[in-house]
Amino acid sequence: MQMSLTISSSSLVIDNLCDQAEGKDVAVVGVYCDFLAQEEQSTTNMLGAILKQLATRGGISDYIREAFQKAKKEFGGRGLLLPDIVDMLKKEITSLPRGYICFDALDESPPKHRQQLLEAVQEIVRVSPNTRVFLTGRPHIYDEIVRYFSKAVRIPVCPTQADIKSYLEKRLSDDTDPNAMDKKLRADIMRIIPEKISEM
Amino acid sequence: MSSWHQQIIGNTNSFNLSSIVNFISEGDAEGHKILQWLSPLEPQKRHQGVRAGRVDGVGNWLLETREFRKWRGEEDGCVEPVLFCYGNPGVGKTHVR
Repeated sequence: MQMSLTISSSSLVIDNLCDQAEGKDVAVVGVYCDFLAQEEQSTTNMLGAILKQLATRGGISDYIREAFQKAKKEFGGRGLLLPDIVDMLKKEITSLPRGYICFDALDESPPKHRQQLLEAVQEIVRVSPNTRVFLTGRPHIYDEIVRYFSKAVRIPVCPTQADIKSYLEKRLSDDTDPNAMDKKLRADIMRIIPEKISEM
Repeated sequence: MSSWHQQIIGNTNSFNLSSIVNFISEGDAEGHKILQWLSPLEPQKRHQGVRAGRVDGVGNWLLETREFRKWRGEEDGCVEPVLFCYGNPGVGKTHVR
């Protein structure tokens, strides 16, 4: 599909979790890893983005403000280091009854970043067992995940026949040249493409 | 942050786009600098783009799976905290253009 089903699933899960969280003291945070943004998506920036989402949601804690003011004085503004971010994240997340952290397309992050991310997430879950982690990626990433979470649950994401039909119907209805379509062609598309895909 | 700066209306999860108001008020210039200092990334923008391209109903079955429901569930501790949804480039992740 033009949009990968796993990324679509991530956004679906995030929306579902946000709906469930409505009115409760539950945080839903996450990052979409992107191969094309590897440079910008350092581990520090990605975990920092999680922290930023928590701070946007619940307010900036005093110790974060203090750390910022202190950093501002050093060398005209020192950036955060990974251990600082992980410590702050641990503090923030333990103050919540429930937090969901999502990372989409882990395989689009370089191996070193993935390792650091998983290490940090492991640390966070250890201090805050109420944290749930949602990950997506290509199957081979599972081998890396189980190094940190030996019992991680897996769900394969493949389009169902119904998914393919919904998708085709949407694409056909979005067609900018409807005159090129007739009943028979439409029926053929709706029959043949799902068949071919399920054979893959 | 002074408490009069804070306004809490509805769901304040940053991913949830229905939440326009968050804890950091417009006037809190330092607050915005701090957020930027924490990270320049803005995953909620990517989220908006992705959800806009989503086709209604596609993939909804995932939310109904036992594994997902159990993972999302309210009970603490006993549940494995990590859920991994995987797709192959040859199957779910590639293109039916």
